[in-house]
Amino acid sequence: MISTIRERLKPHRSVLIGSALMFVLLLAGGLFVEGFLSSSNLRSMLVLAAFLGLASLGQTVCALVGGIDMSIAYVIGACNILLAGLLNWGVPPVLAIAIVFAGGVLLGIANGVLSFKLQGQALILTLGVGFATVGATQIITSIGSEYAGNVMGEVPPWLANISAMGGDTFGIPVPPIVLIWAAVAFAVVYMMNRSYLGRSFYAVGGGRTAAARLMVSEFKIWVLAYAISGGMAALTGIILLGFSGGGFVGVGDPYLFTTVAAVVIGGTSLLGGWGGYGSTVIGVIVLTVLTSLLVGLGLDYAGQQVIFGLIIVPMVAFYARSPHIRMQI
Amino acid sequence: MTNNTLKKIGNANHGHLMVPSILLIVLLIAAAIRGPQLYTNEGMAGAIMVAVPLILATLALTPVALVGRGGVDLAVGPLLGFINVSLVSWLVGHQVHNPVLVVLYVILAGVLYQLIQGAIIVYVRVAPIIVTLSSFVILTGVNLKILDRPSGFSPPWMSKWGAGTEIFSPVLGILAVGLVLWFLLSRTAFFTNIKLTGADERMAYTSGVNIDGVRLGAHVVAGIYAGLAALAYTALIGSGDPTQGSTYTLSAITALVLGGTSLAGGRGGGLGSLLGAINMYLITYVLATFSFGMVSGFVTQMSFGVILVISLQISVLAAAKKSKSA
Repeated sequence: MISTIRERLKPHRSVLIGSALMFVLLLAGGLFVEGFLSSSNLRSMLVLAAFLGLASLGQTVCALVGGIDMSIAYVIGACNILLAGLLNWGVPPVLAIAIVFAGGVLLGIANGVLSFKLQGQALILTLGVGFATVGATQIITSIGSEYAGNVMGEVPPWLANISAMGGDTFGIPVPPIVLIWAAVAFAVVYMMNRSYLGRSFYAVGGGRTAAARLMVSEFKIWVLAYAISGGMAALTGIILLGFSGGGFVGVGDPYLFTTVAAVVIGGTSLLGGWGGYGSTVIGVIVLTVLTSLLVGLGLDYAGQQVIFGLIIVPMVAFYARSPHIRMQI
Repeated sequence: MTNNTLKKIGNANHGHLMVPSILLIVLLIAAAIRGPQLYTNEGMAGAIMVAVPLILATLALTPVALVGRGGVDLAVGPLLGFINVSLVSWLVGHQVHNPVLVVLYVILAGVLYQLIQGAIIVYVRVAPIIVTLSSFVILTGVNLKILDRPSGFSPPWMSKWGAGTEIFSPVLGILAVGLVLWFLLSRTAFFTNIKLTGADERMAYTSGVNIDGVRLGAHVVAGIYAGLAALAYTALIGSGDPTQGSTYTLSAITALVLGGTSLAGGRGGGLGSLLGAINMYLITYVLATFSFGMVSGFVTQMSFGVILVISLQISVLAAAKKSKSA
């Protein structure tokens, strides 16, 4: 009986551990940090989680097919200053956002096509694409500007409201970005579980040959994963511009490793075929609550980093150990 | 064991050196045209000072990349930084300057740290990238705890090393030691086993290679070079700096790939890493001779990215051509 339950729970072990950790953290926060569970702090945690959550979506999809996208942080920064630059040059906001988003998707496609034959080295290839993107964007945006890398400008108020901590959605006191993230999360989880396309990601990640037998094109799915990642990174960069009010190329830097950490802590295997966006959402919330708790406890940046690093390996060791080489022959 | 696997790891195969060698020649010519002062005594001495820590850091990445499982040591930069700041604040800060102790400390610190990383990878069986990612994050924090901003002094006997006026400086000596050690290492069966494990781990295991021992050994070698790199880096800046970690990691990984070593394991070597790191330095040098003004940093960054992508694509084309002709 117990063993049956254990068998049943096995695939969800990461979700269970993550959820438990989340509750422990919230409880600890409520006990030790004054105002931790106040509505303003909960709201700010949700907004920060939404940024990380949107940025980690692409990383999750890439991880599902066995890839990794290290360009996310750079695409976020590049899109952030590019949008600010376009707005400064008088491009209508909607058009500017469309251009930036399309640019992100195109970069993602480039990542996917260029890395397809270099799947073992996707990390370094996407890093290269990221460097090139961020360098090129900074050159473009510094034309006629004195502060290269920082682009100040007017952000349309509706864009600012989307991600304002005090923003509300048609009267509901929840910032729109949180609801957008929730909607995206539900749609993605549903798609990944129920649609043919969604299952194709698991098929390719689980086994190339088997996927090919099912007429699933490895190339298309691989490129699509990176295209999604590029698009979501662009979206995050756009929304972060609304949040901060000014373009700053370094805005993406914190996302360089946190997207990977969120995916891994959630329980998606970097080897592909295992996990999903639902798990990543939990990873994102755990990371965000933990940050807020550590800040509340008065830990500085350096201390936070140490704690972050220390939890990753034990978390992964719980549920993502690779089998012994004996078992792989 | 298939013929291909053997061919891939054979010492006679130096195909991966083609691209870095051509790039080196092009860059040397470009440097001669754009900034001939590189070929003066002072220019060369300065170049060696700046390039040696990067060369050694790239060599530190090489064994871990060669041994496979996508083992790119993201923590190499912060580890270099850790040895640097701990040397400056724990040893020199407490008046310990004995050269033997200092050298012993940097090597031991590197080796010990890498052994811990290696042991986690081998025995806990967590993917190397996750282990090195978390140690990157941990060390970034620890370094800032040890030294909150660039400060402190290198050991007094080292203070003249960073002047960069002589070609035959002690820093060149550190590099020479590193290269000789690497040459000797690459003649051993252990080194062949590293490449064999990286090329096909199951094959290596079934052929009786002690893959766990080999992997740990690769980490020990990485630790020695991380220590040497930290020593050269401390000489270069003459102080402690906790903030350079991520820059060094990214530069060293770029140099590694420019040198033709595959992050997928089994292909590449020390000579390639040496060339890759020198190329990295030369790219920066040549680009700096153009007056891009404020955007020069961006141009450098973009160039690294573009060159990285191109050199990876060339390796794909070369592999495709080879398999066609075979």
